Amino acid sequence: MAIDGLIILDPAGRPIIQSSYTTYPAAYPLLHIEALNNALAKAPREGSVDPVIYVGELSCSSACCHVEVGEMRFIATISGDADPLIAFAFLHAFIEILHDYFGTVSVATLKDNFDIVYQLLEETLDSSGHPLTTSPNALSDIVLSPSLISKLLASVSPATPGVPSARQGGYGAFASPIPWRKAGVRHNHNEILFDVVEEMRGIVGKNGTTLVSNVFGKIESNAKLSGTPDLTLTFTNANVMTECAFHPCVRLQKWTRDNALSFVPPEGRFVLADYQYRPPQSAVISNVPIPLSLKANMDMGEFGGTFALTLTSRLIKVMENLELKFYLGEDATSAQCTLSSAGSSVGSVGSADGSWAFDMRTKTLRWEILNMRSSGSWILRGSWTSKIKAPRPAHAFQIRFEIPSYSFSSLKVDQLRLSSETYKMYKGVRMRSKGSIEWRW
Amino acid sequence: MDGINLNALSENATRLGMRIQETIAEHTRDLSLTRGGSSLFDMADDKAKNITKQLESSSDREKLDAMKRLIALISKNRPVSSYFPAVVKNVASPNLELRKLVYIYLLRCAPSEPDLALLSINTFQRDLADPSPLIRAMALRVLSGIRVPTVATIVLMAVRKSAADPSPYVRKAAALAVMKVYKLDQAHHTALLDIMTTLLRDRSPLSLGTAVLALDTIAPSRLDLLHVHFRRLCRALPDIDAWGQVDVLRVLVRYARTMLPKPVPASEKQGEEVDKDLKLLLACAEPLFMNNNPAVVLAVARAFYYLAPPSMLSKIAAPLLRLLSVSREVERVALVYLLVVARSHPVLFITSHNRLLVRGDDAEQVKRTKICVLLALCTVDNHQTLLREFVDYAQDTDDSVVGDAVHAIGRIASLVPSSTPQCLTALMGMINSKQDIIVSNAVLVLKSLVQNQLLTPSSASTMTLATSLSSQHALLTSSILSLTPSISTSLSAAPLSSTSPESTPAAQAPLSIIAQLARRIDDIRHPHARACVLWLVGQYGSVPGTGTTVEGVADWAPDVLRKAAKSFNTEVCFNPPRNSPAYVKSYQASLVKLQTLTLAAKLILLAPTHRTLVLLARHVLTLARYDEDWDVRDRARMLGALLVGAVAGVLSSNDEEGIGENWNKEEQAGRLGVVLRREQVTRVLFEGKTGTIEEEQAAGKCFCLLIFDTARFVCDYEL
Repeated sequence: MAIDGLIILDPAGRPIIQSSYTTYPAAYPLLHIEALNNALAKAPREGSVDPVIYVGELSCSSACCHVEVGEMRFIATISGDADPLIAFAFLHAFIEILHDYFGTVSVATLKDNFDIVYQLLEETLDSSGHPLTTSPNALSDIVLSPSLISKLLASVSPATPGVPSARQGGYGAFASPIPWRKAGVRHNHNEILFDVVEEMRGIVGKNGTTLVSNVFGKIESNAKLSGTPDLTLTFTNANVMTECAFHPCVRLQKWTRDNALSFVPPEGRFVLADYQYRPPQSAVISNVPIPLSLKANMDMGEFGGTFALTLTSRLIKVMENLELKFYLGEDATSAQCTLSSAGSSVGSVGSADGSWAFDMRTKTLRWEILNMRSSGSWILRGSWTSKIKAPRPAHAFQIRFEIPSYSFSSLKVDQLRLSSETYKMYKGVRMRSKGSIEWRW
Repeated sequence: MDGINLNALSENATRLGMRIQETIAEHTRDLSLTRGGSSLFDMADDKAKNITKQLESSSDREKLDAMKRLIALISKNRPVSSYFPAVVKNVASPNLELRKLVYIYLLRCAPSEPDLALLSINTFQRDLADPSPLIRAMALRVLSGIRVPTVATIVLMAVRKSAADPSPYVRKAAALAVMKVYKLDQAHHTALLDIMTTLLRDRSPLSLGTAVLALDTIAPSRLDLLHVHFRRLCRALPDIDAWGQVDVLRVLVRYARTMLPKPVPASEKQGEEVDKDLKLLLACAEPLFMNNNPAVVLAVARAFYYLAPPSMLSKIAAPLLRLLSVSREVERVALVYLLVVARSHPVLFITSHNRLLVRGDDAEQVKRTKICVLLALCTVDNHQTLLREFVDYAQDTDDSVVGDAVHAIGRIASLVPSSTPQCLTALMGMINSKQDIIVSNAVLVLKSLVQNQLLTPSSASTMTLATSLSSQHALLTSSILSLTPSISTSLSAAPLSSTSPESTPAAQAPLSIIAQLARRIDDIRHPHARACVLWLVGQYGSVPGTGTTVEGVADWAPDVLRKAAKSFNTEVCFNPPRNSPAYVKSYQASLVKLQTLTLAAKLILLAPTHRTLVLLARHVLTLARYDEDWDVRDRARMLGALLVGAVAGVLSSNDEEGIGENWNKEEQAGRLGVVLRREQVTRVLFEGKTGTIEEEQAAGKCFCLLIFDTARFVCDYEL
């Protein structure tokens, strides 16, 4: 029931930071690092490595749970009857904290602030392997963030005895009665922003019918509010949200009773709620229409094959950063394509907003369209070659896209009320959607 | 979170003003370097010499710098214990930033350097009275981290003091320390339990979770201590932090399973009966399904799975499905739990099976688990959809997924018997695939399907083989066991020729499938699959009466033997798994050779007078005699000896001299003197296998074992 420790690997697979494995043999963390690096080296395609790698070299069986962040790998090692789910929940929480402290998580930021990372590690994971404080607001009182001003304040502390400067952080911490919120926050300009991000995940079968398509939403918030603001957020169509999950600050009874989100927000960024979109007219979750269509003419031959793909948008809005990935199989050697487009609005053939590339390392063909307008269609024709007689490409295309200022659910905020504080605050809501569709052929 | 600690800013504004001038020079350097952590992190090792000097300087800046260097050294796994005395001096520094780094150093080094830590134990004890709860908690953590049994009493005193601390943060540290003292020296068990009673009375949700965890660690059997706290713990659940909720729920579930009556399911006479404490626990836990921490959701699901009355069990379905969309990693783990629930309560997930469809970009393990879950959800209503899915998955780019998908089709056939024709059509279609991995898996599955159909009397009208054999079972067994020739006179012709497969006109009748497989033997190159087909041909290659080219043998069978004999010496491990050791490769090649031998033996037993067949068989036996694998050599020797009485001229013929002659002499010299009659040999070679039941768990793994059943049977009787 415990996490043995945490290791952060740089892109080359070398450890940058690791928690103390004092009660374990010296080889223990190294074995896990090696197991992961081996698995990554062997993986036939991107993303096929098992997130939980069993390590059986030692007398006690243990496992290496890993998450990729940027190019780095975060590893939590577990042993005995520990639940890998706790390890992953902790890793995600820890990565979230690092984002909070450093803005971006990269090798450079971690090396620059390694002392803070170590402090965070000690505060978030006990040596017995149990997660401790992981709420960013509570942590920020214990471990100071690296911004220049707080740095200055910390090192300015007097060399003379007499004034016990330990008070400066010592009393600030744990003074708040609300575990996720700092006490005594003051802002000149009070504001709270909500970003509603919806992601469609779907699979389209060989015959073009939608096998499944669901929309998962997330309400991300950024709060800069003074004092102890008590907020109530209501929606005009709260019934489109189902299977919700909330930040601990949300009063669950209130939501269950009258579908209103009542909460005292933490400071800064946090995810207020996760939900799944349920089309209002249906009682059960049904498929949401997919906003694009793909026609694929595939011809498999010996030592390669040819294809002609036609993409059409079914949406009035412009889709951005559309990306189609096609894994050509382990033995693929090259690919050659031509781009063209057809339809009313697009005049030029092979317009500039499309591009393709074949990645030799991942053996994946990638087709990108930066702006996909509502009318017209985009065509990619090409062929690929393979080392083996009967090539073995993936029988599905992975399509990703983004739609700015759009939501599949048309979730609408009714109002946001502030009680317990008197100031005026700036409120904002933004919608954003993205999609990840598998199209089989 | 921009990290600007405005609170601290206002507090320090005045002090800042006073001191800013004397320190400004140093800080401008700091500003221009933008922290410079990276340069510290990657510094050369020879710079480490200065650390002790820096630690002893009077400037906090120097000391901080030195501590950072030390932590960088720790990070690179360099020995740092030699700095211990210099570091400990700074433990009482008024600079909080410095002190925290000192404590991080101590937390790292104290467990491995207990003697040095012991020297400074007074300092830590003094810090237990520090005004800052942060320092008090850290001091307690360092103290409890020193693993020397002699200090256990001192630590115990510290824990007792901290358990009554006004700050819940320190009380939390006390609960964690309880576990560490217990691990260090179990003699203090009673004293620790005493402290636990204080900690469990805690009103703050911050420390309550850890207290319950500590109780669970030091006294897992003392659930009775929770009697007084049970209801309070239930009500406090929503306020405890996520990690605590997981621990508390686990303990409370155990408590409820031990102490509370099991819910009585609703019957005709009365409604559902649920204990009111159990109801309270479930009611308090249910809102936590909406927690955003996946570990908590799973803990609640676990509570409902074990405790909830049947009517409430359905509540776990949606939250478990939600976990699948949290992240790739969470999906991987949650799927395994979902599989457990789906196997025992498939009805919970049947309507949402489309949430579990495999995507091409899933991790390999995720794909395989999803296939297992889908199989668990297979019913008469959805088997068509699932079959279509599995046919799609058979084109996956991961070999193991292809295997699982093809075997899943076989499972559908056995789960929903009415779907067998469709499944067979799908599998026969795969035989024509260009991908060897698909072909070989399809053959393996077809083999077990065909065999099961032939062996289940009710399933197919063609099923006479097994029944006819089993009717003679008693007689045969006794005849073999006694090995007296007189009994076998009661048997008429060879049992196999008495079997009459009254072939059904259906295109996919089992025997016609075997025929198709036999015709495609050249295209089937995977050793397991090849061996399978050879076995099938031999086992079911008999036809009654005349009308075929070779009397008693199906038309397609002899040619298979011819082809197998031709390629006997060129059998190789086809497409070996990467980095597989040499013995695996030779084992796979031998697999085909062994089955070629078995096929030869069976065919000449069916047509003992057919000259070409006997010559072919003899050719194969001779080839095997000089094979490099002793298994193959032994099998040839054994089959030759077995057949010597049943088939004339299997080892040597009267009209031909040569190798056979020598062999014959050799054999006769070493023979024990028992010669089996044809009927007995038939029994030995053809029976000895019952139906194969494809295990859900080990689908695809049992086949190679089953092939060898016949051989093992023979060996038993030879002794």
